[in-house]
Amino acid sequence: MKMQRLLGLGYLTPYIVGLLVFTAIPFIGSLYLSFTSYDLMSEPRWTGLANYERLFTRDRTFIKSLNVTLLYVFLTVPLKLAFALFIAAILNYKLMFIGLFRTAFYVPSILGGSIAIAVLWRYIFATEGLANMALATLGLSPVDWFGDPTNALFTITLLRCWQFGSAMVIFLAALQSIDKSLYEAAAIDGAGKVRTFFFITLPLLTPVIFFNLIMQMVQAFQEFNGPYIITQGGPLKSTYLLPLYIYDEAFKKFNMGYASSIAWVLFAIITVLTLVAFWSSKKWVFYAGDKRS
Amino acid sequence: MKTARILAALTGVAYGALSLGATAQAAELRMAWWGGDSRHVATQKATAACGQKYGHTVKGEFTGFDGYLEKLTTQMAGRTESDIVQVNWPWLPLFSKNGEGFADLRTLKAIDLTNWTEGDLAAGSMNGVLQGLSVSTTGRVFFFNATTFEKAGVDIPKNWDEFFAATATIKDKLGKDHYTFNAVKETAQLLVTLAVVQKTGKDLVDQTNNRVAWTPEELAEGISFLGKLVETGAIRSQKEEAADGNVNLFEKPAWAEGKVAGSYEWDSTYSKYADPLEDGQVLKPVPMLKLAGAVTEGVYRKPSMVFSISKNSKNQEAAAQIVNCLLNEPEGIDALGTSRGLPASKAAAARLGDKGEAEVRAANAIVMAATGPTVSPFNEHPEIRAAFIDTLEEYAYGQLTAQEAAQQIIDTVNDVLAEFD
Repeated sequence: MKMQRLLGLGYLTPYIVGLLVFTAIPFIGSLYLSFTSYDLMSEPRWTGLANYERLFTRDRTFIKSLNVTLLYVFLTVPLKLAFALFIAAILNYKLMFIGLFRTAFYVPSILGGSIAIAVLWRYIFATEGLANMALATLGLSPVDWFGDPTNALFTITLLRCWQFGSAMVIFLAALQSIDKSLYEAAAIDGAGKVRTFFFITLPLLTPVIFFNLIMQMVQAFQEFNGPYIITQGGPLKSTYLLPLYIYDEAFKKFNMGYASSIAWVLFAIITVLTLVAFWSSKKWVFYAGDKRS
Repeated sequence: MKTARILAALTGVAYGALSLGATAQAAELRMAWWGGDSRHVATQKATAACGQKYGHTVKGEFTGFDGYLEKLTTQMAGRTESDIVQVNWPWLPLFSKNGEGFADLRTLKAIDLTNWTEGDLAAGSMNGVLQGLSVSTTGRVFFFNATTFEKAGVDIPKNWDEFFAATATIKDKLGKDHYTFNAVKETAQLLVTLAVVQKTGKDLVDQTNNRVAWTPEELAEGISFLGKLVETGAIRSQKEEAADGNVNLFEKPAWAEGKVAGSYEWDSTYSKYADPLEDGQVLKPVPMLKLAGAVTEGVYRKPSMVFSISKNSKNQEAAAQIVNCLLNEPEGIDALGTSRGLPASKAAAARLGDKGEAEVRAANAIVMAATGPTVSPFNEHPEIRAAFIDTLEEYAYGQLTAQEAAQQIIDTVNDVLAEFD
């Protein structure tokens, strides 16, 4: 028994060491640095709450970047979840070549985070890119996707929504696990497809929707590659998400202490929104065996 | 038996010591640089030749310019930088404000410092300590697509008045989608700088008080010059540039086709801009264009880059041998050629003679012959550069007037400079 415990601990050790060295220690370290002035070349100098005071009282870029980030998250997450659920519902039918379709719809998620796709996106939505060529064939005027500050964030949002595969797979698995007898009972009672979806499928999917909501929200707050490669945060900082601001402050301007304070504010925002989601879940998430059902 | 064990142990220790001694002789070094393909190939050949000469192994860590500063910064902070590091000259104050960021090159005997002028050595020194050896002197120069100008039947301009006249003719004859110039991001900053320097004769930073030397009115005039370039159709507007996403000029089809017929770039980057042009198109470096009433040509000239040796290197003398070989000895000089521009080392300049690309030589000759004030490294400080680029973008999108933009830039730059008082 003791040997088994030791063996178990042995197997766990690499993970624990990795967690401590690459996550926990830098995590705590960044909290300390957020109270310092640290330019990477000299020793950190304790400045107390100065970074946070500057952040909330004098830094117009932070306010702008925070607004852009929140708008991006509130646009991306619902759009992506709705689209993933829509496609999953279609792929749940017994269609011809269904395996091929499922693979095809998942492929963007494998490719989506890569630099190459961000570059491809840039070319698709350029002035003379594929998107405007398609609009032209329909007789529509070209759109200034990246040059107009009001469109640029939406174009970046589309890239994230296009990578709906992982959420879709989870939805698909959940759809397939719903007991068929419920649908049969509903059909006998005369319920149509729309009513069945909203009164049987959707409530039974709420735990999975909740899971996807949390995961997608955290990922959206961490978005970096797309705006960095495609627009570099422009024009007029309309796609300047907080991770880009953190990166610029830390590695381009050498303000590691200040960058850490922004990172901690971002962490606090994600934590609060996650807690709100958990609190609200009591009202709209239904688990199997739940007495409310 | 016991004696035999002791003897075996002693033999092992002696053998180990011997091999350690051999390792110290033949060092394994790392060298970091940025550049394009031609520079990567040349540098790998040069480090192999120099490594063979001195019995060292040199492992190259190379990349493009984008991201190099971030990578080097992280390595410097973690004290894991390469033994030999290529450093952009304006970065020296960032890494070695007090002359303690890199090894003191005057203490390393393998380097023959007589190959550099006192000016070069002073430019590579921080707080009087030699931190980097100038590899070459570089500057911004005008490149024009001679083929486009020829097609429109106009001469390549010699001053800004001719330039605006040529722009009108080119747009008239070749179409509205033709532009005579390009100015985005740091090129826009340097064009504004050029306009102000030509009018005032002053660099951005007044070295006597470490503050901005220009008045808001002087800078506003420079910013308006950028506005004039857009209004006359010489360059695309910032909005049109942004619509293409973040794409380099030399990657744009319009550049390759000659529809953008000029730019203001580093002399050493001639090939990067000439190579993508379609067959038959000719790119020419031309002398500095001057504004009416200019007091100087306003050339932006500086040491292009320096080679530094890590203060954390365990093989500083071996690294010094390689650096000296790369910059002063035939094996390194021949292999490197003009991949980093025309060398600053006298030995390299003498050996190369007229070798290397003629157009790079011509561009460098223009830079070296032109007049202008001494350029402060603060011109390329990341925060100062960001202040220029962000504010010029706000001006381009009509959110600020030229006067407001000038005041905003001056205030931000002075705030950054104050941190170095």
